[in-house]
Amino acid sequence: MSRRIANVVTYLLLGIGAVITLAPYLLSVQTSLKTPEQFAAASPLAPPSPVSAGSYAELVVGDHTLVPPLVITVQVVILVVLGQLTCSVLAAYAFARLDFPGRDLLFWVYLGTLMVPLAATLVPRFVLVSGLGLRDTFWGIVLPTLFGSPYAVFLLRQFFRGIPTELLDAARIDGAGHPRVLRHVILPLSRPVLATLLIITVVAHWNEFLWPLVVTSSERWQVLTVAVSALQSQYHGNWTLVMAATTLATLPLLVLFVLFQRHIVKSITITGMK
Amino acid sequence: MGSRGFPVRRTLTGYAFLAPSLLGVIGFLLVPVLVVIGISLHRWDLVSPARWVGLDNYAALLDDLAFWQSLLITGMFVALVVPAQVVLGLLTAVLLDRRLPGSVVFRTVFVLPWISAPLALGVVWRWIFDPSDGALNAFTGVRVEWLSDPDLALPAVVVATVWQHVGYVALFFLAGLAGIPAQFPEAARIDGANAGQVFRRITLPLLRPTMFFVVVTGLLTTFQTFDTVYAMTQGGPAGATDVIASLIYREAFTNFRMGRAAAMSVVLLLLLITVTVAQQLYFRKRTTYEVS
Repeated sequence: MSRRIANVVTYLLLGIGAVITLAPYLLSVQTSLKTPEQFAAASPLAPPSPVSAGSYAELVVGDHTLVPPLVITVQVVILVVLGQLTCSVLAAYAFARLDFPGRDLLFWVYLGTLMVPLAATLVPRFVLVSGLGLRDTFWGIVLPTLFGSPYAVFLLRQFFRGIPTELLDAARIDGAGHPRVLRHVILPLSRPVLATLLIITVVAHWNEFLWPLVVTSSERWQVLTVAVSALQSQYHGNWTLVMAATTLATLPLLVLFVLFQRHIVKSITITGMK
Repeated sequence: MGSRGFPVRRTLTGYAFLAPSLLGVIGFLLVPVLVVIGISLHRWDLVSPARWVGLDNYAALLDDLAFWQSLLITGMFVALVVPAQVVLGLLTAVLLDRRLPGSVVFRTVFVLPWISAPLALGVVWRWIFDPSDGALNAFTGVRVEWLSDPDLALPAVVVATVWQHVGYVALFFLAGLAGIPAQFPEAARIDGANAGQVFRRITLPLLRPTMFFVVVTGLLTTFQTFDTVYAMTQGGPAGATDVIASLIYREAFTNFRMGRAAAMSVVLLLLLITVTVAQQLYFRKRTTYEVS
């Protein structure tokens, strides 16, 4: 009996949580499907009648197209993912499996940099990237994060250290050099942690805003988040258009998430524990 | 320590593997920290040449009300967001951990905000809180100037931030709960402990490593909040939501006072390092966890 009550209360609370979580999404999608006239005429909560895709048409083929920012964002994400994973895997292998002077000191330096906030390095990064002549360029957006993150190195090192030494020694005795050991022994065993990093990196860089905002100034190099922000300040009050833009900016990752849900949830928690 | 080549060769191999990543860490993390200290000792508007002013920027910060207000607001923001998201995250995890049918669906729903861009969600919340066209006032039927009332703007940004983080925090607690061997709570129950006692005396202490992780990462990310504030209030009204990252951004890239912004960055850096180290010490006394 008391178990039954507990179950009812559990569902009730989870239900309330789900409604609160989903409401902003559903309300913004609903708003994005109205015409500005419908929006002005009725309550903000009223459902669209009839449903209008005008805002989306405007954002795909109209004057405020988000297609170029989408293309830039995809390019940024692909490059950063490739760069980060490659550089971090190499560094993590060195920290976990190679022995050289300065290794432990450098690893502590890496750990220390985890404390450095982006907000604190914004000004000097901007100065450095400007000094390289990359202000308001594609490479200016990408370069600072292209070479991997200390966080990824840390995670991968932990994982690589867990791989039995005998496996690696056997490969070494068979004459495999370090690059081959890495490619043919370590990487195939590291799929789960690589998948985790892939997901985290994609999410982080798809959603990145502050650095692209600072380093780019022309419309040409706007990423999605910057474009949405610009649209919001330019068309303040035109909520139907703005809500269509936020929906378009968040939808691709939400779809990916629902498709790979199990994997992603597992991934997120791997990063924190042990 | 498997291979026994020449030390020189071993050194070269190690650094060859490390080189690309090291380039990034030095070039975009270590050098910037040095450069930001250097810039903080200058007056510079990006156009005319920088002029050495010694510690003037720091001295000016001492008298700068906006800076102190920003630190205070950042502190309040963190003090509201982190406990709220930890408590709600823990509650959510406990509910999900009962593993009733449908829990997986709820879990998926709760994590959605973590996947979405904080900037885009901030814009959505700006609309929700909009006094005349927004969803919230339409729902309650009362016109409240959420984001233009200095007393309400910060709580509104706090709500949007906590909403974004709860599901993510819950995932970690869920993993932590799954790691607790079932015998422990069972034994306590057999000894006559009620559900509340089991939770307080058994579950919570065993969740300490998770708690540590969730609090530390929560503090680090919340201290640096920018996107949500930028989208919802841009630091207004009257500086009521002007967290430190928002102030640094404006000083540097709207007012072009690079030296001053750099001095603020140095203060932020020192603050975060202090908080992190203090936490490490505090929790290390009470937890055993592995670094390597």
